[in-house]
Formats: sequence, structure tokens, C-alpha cells
Amino acid sequence: MLEVKNLHSGYNKIEVLHGINITVPDGKIIVVIGRNGAGKSTLLNTISGLVKIKSGSILLDGKKLPSSPHKIVSSGIIQVPEGRRIFPSLTIDENLIMGGYLVSPSDLKTRKELVYDTFPILRERANQQAGTMSGGEQQMLAMGRGMMAGPKILLLDEPSLGLAPLIFNQVFELVKKLNHEENMTIILVEQNASIALRMADYAYVLENGEVVIEGPGKALVEDPRVKAAYLGAANKKV
Amino acid sequence: MQVMVLLQQVINGLSLGAVYALIAVGYALVFNVLKFSNFAHGGVLGISAYAGYIVANQLHWPLIPVILVGILTGAVVAVLVELIAFRWIRLQKGQLVYFFVTSVTMLMALEQVLIIRFGASFESFPYTLLKVKVIHLGELTVSITYLLSLVLTIIAFSVLLYILKKTKIGIAIRAASNDLVATSLMGINVDQIIVATFIVSGLLGGLSGVLYGISASLSPQIGQIVIKGFIASVLGGLGSLKGVAIAAVALGVFEVFLVATIGSGLTPVVIFLLMVIFLLVRPQGFAGVSFTDKA
Ligand SMILES: Nc1ncnc2c1ncn2[C@@H]1O[C@H](COP(=O)(O)OP(=O)(O)OP(=O)(O)O)[C@@H](O)[C@H]1O
Ligand SMILES: [Mg+2]
Repeated sequence: MLEVKNLHSGYNKIEVLHGINITVPDGKIIVVIGRNGAGKSTLLNTISGLVKIKSGSILLDGKKLPSSPHKIVSSGIIQVPEGRRIFPSLTIDENLIMGGYLVSPSDLKTRKELVYDTFPILRERANQQAGTMSGGEQQMLAMGRGMMAGPKILLLDEPSLGLAPLIFNQVFELVKKLNHEENMTIILVEQNASIALRMADYAYVLENGEVVIEGPGKALVEDPRVKAAYLGAANKKV
Repeated sequence: MQVMVLLQQVINGLSLGAVYALIAVGYALVFNVLKFSNFAHGGVLGISAYAGYIVANQLHWPLIPVILVGILTGAVVAVLVELIAFRWIRLQKGQLVYFFVTSVTMLMALEQVLIIRFGASFESFPYTLLKVKVIHLGELTVSITYLLSLVLTIIAFSVLLYILKKTKIGIAIRAASNDLVATSLMGINVDQIIVATFIVSGLLGGLSGVLYGISASLSPQIGQIVIKGFIASVLGGLGSLKGVAIAAVALGVFEVFLVATIGSGLTPVVIFLLMVIFLLVRPQGFAGVSFTDKA
């Protein structure tokens, strides 16, 4: 279980998150929605150790997370960052090798097979430079690369950004599958609020660095405040 | 006969270009990961050249150990520079200009070390370091030091290519060149990767230092040839090590011809002018590729 307790964090002198409390039980899908600039990425990046905690704490199974990003990854928390951030000059295969940097050589092989089975297009393109792939393919690579480390908790920052509806449905199906079949815990940050909330076990709405609404996903879909502020707007945007 | 002179010049140019390529690639490796011009690389190769000189001159070590001492010194000094000068700026998330200024300062500091120890005069490696001085290929007379530079550069680049393509740490260095933050999200300790980058860069710098010292001469200002590495990197298109190496070799050949035709006084001026013109025409360099973000 991951617990974010009264978390304050931000950049230099600017505080972006003002006392966030979030609980992520094992095996659940937790969704975070909020407008541009609400602090969603800052939240994920603080969990990943990229943004320093100013006060409050983040606990994994009751223990404080280590402070450096690579140690957080080795404790099983993997982030697929906003904008994918694949390694453009590396091949698909090399990107996956980097995703599995910490796993043993034999695990690396089986994980890679798993990713290639999930995304056959990646297998076809294994030796192609990642930067030459389409946006959708790059998103699949980013997800695949995240899966390589065998995460206990997977943090996804707007995986559907810029994808055609057909492809982002695939992404959401994959998220559900990882959750059901591999019992992976998921924290999903999304702009496509209606789809995301429907698959959420529990969800949080962030505004100006604070949690303003929270509850089970299905309840939030029906919440008039959420409907007015997020679902209507999101639908119009698409 | 004219053809022979030409060929001779080409060989001289290639061997000078090979040393430039070692310098340029060592410099570009650090640039790619940390995105600043590391002129301290010149200091690294200067110290390495003198380290080789000391064991050759005072301990009378033979050629191969002398070169190895130079290479290893390069790695050690490069790592020390990273730990002493650059790491804290990185931890403070300092601006690029701090890195740049610090690297120039380190170049001057390392030069001063050499001046204090050896004075400002020129030195050269002992005459006895190389048993054979030249070899004859038909009508061509090729200096053995030039051949040495060529052969060792080819070996060094083969090893480098293997490391960067086939080892996990090498691939991680390339990943870090793309995106340092994303690299840390892979569970990779980027501090270690940066040290590894400085080690590889320093090994190449050390080799280029001794080779330049052996085939030309030594002075405490030897480190300033890092400028040639800088020019080649810019021409080659930063980011593409292959492009950088090719540009460096071309620069070496070009320079030898310029010196032969217009003399060594004007050569640097012409080279700088041509670099500026070239960049106006082709700002991405010979081989520069840029990946644009896809939505
Ligand atoms: N590196 C940074 N330095 C300074 N301020 C930052 C930095 N990154 C983000 N911010 C600021 O922090 C606030 C929250 O940004 P964040 O990226 O967390 O928002 P977000 O909810 O992820 O938005 P989006 O939906 O657009 O991705 C914004 O005001 C942003 O300008
Ligand atoms: Mg964001």
C-alpha cells in the first residue's frame, strides 16, 4: 500500500501541492483527474523522487520511500511519464532493455517476450530507432518499457494524450488487463475523465494542488460537480 | 612525384585527423549527456600526455605501457574533474553557464599545474621510445607515429562502438544522452552513468593526449587542442558521434593541406571562418539529426 500523507512539494520556492492525502491500496486502480496545471504530474513526480518533498511523507507499506529516483524504481514504483519520453535515438529493443535495467538477464528475456506479445508492432520494429515511430507506437513503447521492470505500482501520466480514440481504448484495456491479470496497482492521471473514472476503484480530483473531491470512481462519474467541471468539458474537448 | 607528395599529405592529415577524432568524440560524449562544452577535457588530455612523458622520460618505460599510463591517467583525471568541479553544480541544479565557466577554469587550472611542474617550455618524448621511426610503403615514407595514431584510433573506436551498442552501461550512456530524467525513471543511477561517461571520455582523452604528445610535441598549452575537438563536434553535428569522428578526420586532412598551402599562421583563421559559414548553411552539422516530439 502506498500512502501520501499531507504532502507539500513544488519547485524551488514555489509550492505546487498543498497538503495532499492519497491512499493507494494494493491491486487497485486509483485515478487522479484535474485541470492543466492542477499539480497531477507534480504529484507523480514527487512519488517518483523527481520533485523534492517539502513536508509530509510518502510511505510504501508503512516505510518511507528512498529519496533518489532510481532507488524508488527498485522498490517497485515505475512511472510512465507524461509525453512518453522514450529514448528517440535508441532502438525499440534498446528502449526495452533500459526499462528492464534492474532485472536479471533471464527475467529480461521473458519480460521482453511479454511486452512483444502485448504489442506485436514493437516486435516487428525491434531494431528501428524509436524516434521514428508514430505517436501511438511511441506510447505503446513507453508502456512496454514501463512493464519491463515488473512494477508493483505503475504510475501513468496521461497515457492517452494525443492518441486517436481507437488507440487510447487499447491503452485503457491494457491498464485494466495489467491490473486484473498481474494484480498491478495503478495510479492513472487522465484528462479523459469519463473513461478513467469508470475504471477507477477510487478517484481524486485535484485543483490548485489540493484534493477537492474524492470517492469511488463510479460515484464521481455521477457527482454533479465533477460532471459540470470535468466530464462536460472533457467530452466537448474530444 | 606530385602524387606521392599528395598521398604523403593525406596520410599525415588522416593521422592528425585520427587524434582530433579521439579528442572530439571524448568531448562530445560528455556534451551529449550534460549538454555543456567541457573544455576541461583539454586539461585531461594535457595531464595524460605529461603522465606518459614522465614514465617514458624518467622511468624509461617502453611504448605500450607509456600509452596505457596516458589512457588510465585520462580516466582518473576526468573522473576527478567530474567529482570536484561538476557534480556539485549538478546537485544544485546549476545553469549551463556555470558548467561552462567551470570547465574553462578547470582547463586553465590543469594547465597551471603543468606550467608549475614543467615550466612553459616545450618537451618531447624520448627519441628512444620508438625503435623504428619510419616504414617504407613503396615510394612512400610513413612515420611510425602517424601509423600508430591511426591504428590505435581505429582500435579505440571499435571498442567504444562495442561498449555503446552492446553493453547495458553503454546503452545507458546513450539513453542518458537522450533524456537524463527518463533515464533515472528506468531505475538507473544517473550519477553512476555520468561517472561512466567521464571514464570513457577520459580514456579517449588520455589516448589522444599521449598520441599528440608523441607525434607532435608537448607544452603545457597542449590542452588547447580541445578546440579542434569542439570544432569537429560542431561540424559533425553534436549528438552523432559518427558524424563528429568523420568531421574530425576531415578537419585533420584539411588542416594539413591548408598549412602546406597558406601556412600555419592563417590556417586557424580560415578554419574558423569556414566553420561559421558551414554552420550558416547547415546548422545541424554533417550528420546531425533531430527528432521532433510527436503529439
Ligand atoms: N519544473 C517546473 N518548475 C517550475 N514550475 C513547474 C515545473 N513543472 C511544473 N510547474 C508548475 O507546477 C504547476 C503544476 O504543474 P503540473 O505539471 O503538475 O500540472 P498538471 O496537473 O500535470 O498539468 P497538465 O494537465 O497540463 O499536465 C503548474 O503551475 C506548473 O507551471
Ligand atoms: Mg501533467
